Amino acid sequence: MKKSSIAGIIIIAFAIGIIISTYADSSTYGSFADAIESSSDLHVVGQLNKEKELFYKPHQDANYFAFYMKDNDGKECRVVFNGSKPQDFERSEQIVLTGKMVGNEFHASKILMKCPSKYTTDQVEVREVTAKSAKT
Amino acid sequence: MEIQYIGENLLPGKLGQFFIIFSFCSALLATIAYYFATTTALSKDQSERASSGGWNRIARIAFRLNTLAVIGIGSCLYYIIYNHLFEYHYAWAHSSKILPVYYIISSFWEGQEGSFWLWMFWQAFLGTIILSKGKTWENSVMTTIMLSQAFIASMLVGVEIFGLRIGSSPFILLRDAVPGPIFGRGDYLNMITDGNGLNPLLQNYWMVIHPPTLFLGFASMIVPFAYAIGGLWEKRYSEWITPALPWTLFAVMILGTGIIMGSFWAYEALNFGGFWAWDPVENASIIPWMTLIAAVHVLIAHKNSGHSYFTATFLVLISFVLVLYASFLTRSGILGETSVHAFTDLGMFWHLVLYVVAFLFIAVLFLVIRWKELPITKKDEETYSREFWLFIGALVLSIACVQILASTSVPVFNAIFGTEIAPPPDVVAHYNKWQVPFAVVIAFISAFSQFLKYKKTDPKKFFVSISITLLVSVFITAGAVYFMNIYTNVMYIILTYASVFSILANAKILTEAFKGKWRLAGSAVAHIGFALLLVGALVAAATNKVISINNTGIGFGDEFAKSNNPRENIILYKDEPTRMDRYTVTYLGDSTQGVNTYYRINYKVIDENNGEVKENFTLYPNAQQNAKMRQIIASPDTRHYLFHDVYTHVSSVPLKEEDHEDHEGHSEDEKYEKPATYEVNVGDTVRFREGYILVKGINRDAKIQNIPLGERDIAIGLKLDVVSDGKVFQSEPIYLLKDGSKFDFGKVLDEKGLKLRFSNVYPDKDKLELMVYQKPKAEKDWVVLKAIEFPYINLFWGGTIIMVIGFILSIFRRNKEIKTA
Repeated sequence: MKKSSIAGIIIIAFAIGIIISTYADSSTYGSFADAIESSSDLHVVGQLNKEKELFYKPHQDANYFAFYMKDNDGKECRVVFNGSKPQDFERSEQIVLTGKMVGNEFHASKILMKCPSKYTTDQVEVREVTAKSAKT
Repeated sequence: MEIQYIGENLLPGKLGQFFIIFSFCSALLATIAYYFATTTALSKDQSERASSGGWNRIARIAFRLNTLAVIGIGSCLYYIIYNHLFEYHYAWAHSSKILPVYYIISSFWEGQEGSFWLWMFWQAFLGTIILSKGKTWENSVMTTIMLSQAFIASMLVGVEIFGLRIGSSPFILLRDAVPGPIFGRGDYLNMITDGNGLNPLLQNYWMVIHPPTLFLGFASMIVPFAYAIGGLWEKRYSEWITPALPWTLFAVMILGTGIIMGSFWAYEALNFGGFWAWDPVENASIIPWMTLIAAVHVLIAHKNSGHSYFTATFLVLISFVLVLYASFLTRSGILGETSVHAFTDLGMFWHLVLYVVAFLFIAVLFLVIRWKELPITKKDEETYSREFWLFIGALVLSIACVQILASTSVPVFNAIFGTEIAPPPDVVAHYNKWQVPFAVVIAFISAFSQFLKYKKTDPKKFFVSISITLLVSVFITAGAVYFMNIYTNVMYIILTYASVFSILANAKILTEAFKGKWRLAGSAVAHIGFALLLVGALVAAATNKVISINNTGIGFGDEFAKSNNPRENIILYKDEPTRMDRYTVTYLGDSTQGVNTYYRINYKVIDENNGEVKENFTLYPNAQQNAKMRQIIASPDTRHYLFHDVYTHVSSVPLKEEDHEDHEGHSEDEKYEKPATYEVNVGDTVRFREGYILVKGINRDAKIQNIPLGERDIAIGLKLDVVSDGKVFQSEPIYLLKDGSKFDFGKVLDEKGLKLRFSNVYPDKDKLELMVYQKPKAEKDWVVLKAIEFPYINLFWGGTIIMVIGFILSIFRRNKEIKTA
């Protein structure tokens, strides 16, 4: 057998190994209930509870941001994030948290949010210019 | 009833739409004509062969018309954006009136349609070169290119056929694209005063040149693909490699430059704190780049030894398919939750899938049909030969690619199999774990294979020549890891060693190039650049240090304190110097220019022994404030040094209120803390939080605007020097006795958040009453910022530039080989 063929076979075997381990490395999506059970990091998808206060007081601590999120099962949990409040957070429609439960708080190491960005949605912002010009 | 719309300028849109249809038809015609020009030339029949020339003429005309149509589309779209014709959705969605002209160019390709146009434009440009330089290859190569051109044109058509909308046109009207009650009025245009504007993050000069470069890279990858197909089709199996090689190098060079430009843009304009985040969008562009780099190496191996024909062809073919796959990933919306940068779906999911599948099918089809005839050698390679290690190197690159591809494709996997696999918790660590070892192997191979000859090398000579370099590298590596502070991680040391070895080995080749073997220069320079890039990326990524560490957080319970995450944001109050690593950092104030607010952050390095200022610079990280949406969009500012960068961005700032007018019923004094009242005399000092106030004297002749003084009225000014932070501010509050009543006119010193009142005079005690109002500390201006030091990042950028120079040298060399061949 040719050396290059052997190398090729080894490489293909290696590639399959990589793909399998890539998927082994990946995490799972879950709910807060799953997070309580699990000791490893996982992703929780949910929505920000906009009625409760967002706690971010940079004067006291610029690296402590806490809020309440409802996961897709409707369970609510206090979430603590070790960093500053992400830009645009209040307007998020969906949040994906990465982290784990510590006591009865969810400690997030990463927050990914989906926002109805001004630059992606089609909402015509209309200003009544006619009324203004009538006055002057 | 039909509504009569007023003020719309429909001509450019109609013209543009015509050009789109025209470009699609002409591309299709050119594809068909080139196809027949190729097949008739291959025919055994004499008369059929003669007709090839006719087909070629038709094809050329169709191609020229297509180029004109593409330019026409671009001109119409530019006209619409430039003239702010907001009746068109594209102009409304991507531009605004306040946008400077050079960013109008960026808004041109902010949307998917514009970037498709850019791709078409480059394909037309490349086609023009093939027409003049392609010679015998023109027909077959152009068939493939024009097929791709037709595919992209179809993405822009935006016409409904059988209830299916094909593509998305940039010329769609706003009233057709967006539902809204205002479109019931004929004069709706009067109410749309401005467009949505360009995403502020894209308002960066790198965004003007990064997309065209990247798309030229993507577009030029079709050329080697088309040559490979042409070679299989016309059975000119090995012949295609010589003309395709400079094209392959060109594509690799341009795409590489485009990717690094994007990385530089991310570093300069985005606040994710780095130059590479393994974001799916970044990965999508680097995957085809890596396979084509691998392809370059096996193409050279095949050219010199006749080995690895299939690998070379396969890699060239798969590279372009991966380009299409990348555009599917970024444009179909499939990345969804895993990337913040991808485009949103425009309803072209299956259209994009079709594009990928069509070209994959073509590639597989030709390989299968011609399989038996492929010039695959049965001979075994020598272990001590360059071609063998070029082949191995290419395989390792491909494997590295498979890893990135597998991880990036998780959302695709989820979509196909209905699974719900989430990306790894720490994405960067996940990729680095795999890619660092691959980089080590690749760096080693790129070093020692330079000392191998094609066919056969004497192992003894080979080991003698590399052993010295290997040994010298040990010492240099030892010094380098010590100085760059990466000696704690074994993998980092090994990668540094491999890179140093590669730099030295290739430098040795380069010195020989100077002695006359100039042909070797290109690859030596490119490899040195690549190795520098690896070291730069490694050191900057491994040792970048957040310097805005803040451990003064209080009162959040033990549970929180237990987690030992570094606290990476720090709050700075205006004019209060704060110690941050070795810097003394002061927030000096802000200024607003257009939509951006620039925060002046001064950095000083002060020698602790003699108080001498050793470094002093000011950074201006900015944020776009949008008070209505209560959000900020922050962009960093970076101080570049030769050996390190200091990178700073604000993470939180007080939102500016939209109106500063005081509301009725609120006295101005409410903004201040309870005043402190002092009884003073000339020469006294009064302390306040950030300094002291010196009572200098009394001005018995004070005047107050708009208040005429009677004969018996008295107005006295109290001359005060407010000393703070080494600066002196003058202030003169006034006390007034008018018609027997007491008044006083306080003075406000905004810079210090002070209000001073001269509120009473006690002649009996010989004292004057001074009231000091101070704004509460929290009300003072503040910013929360994050600062990162990136050491040796210039090695990364510098390595890139050197690598590109190496590519240019190689292109010249390989281009010359076409002429001599």
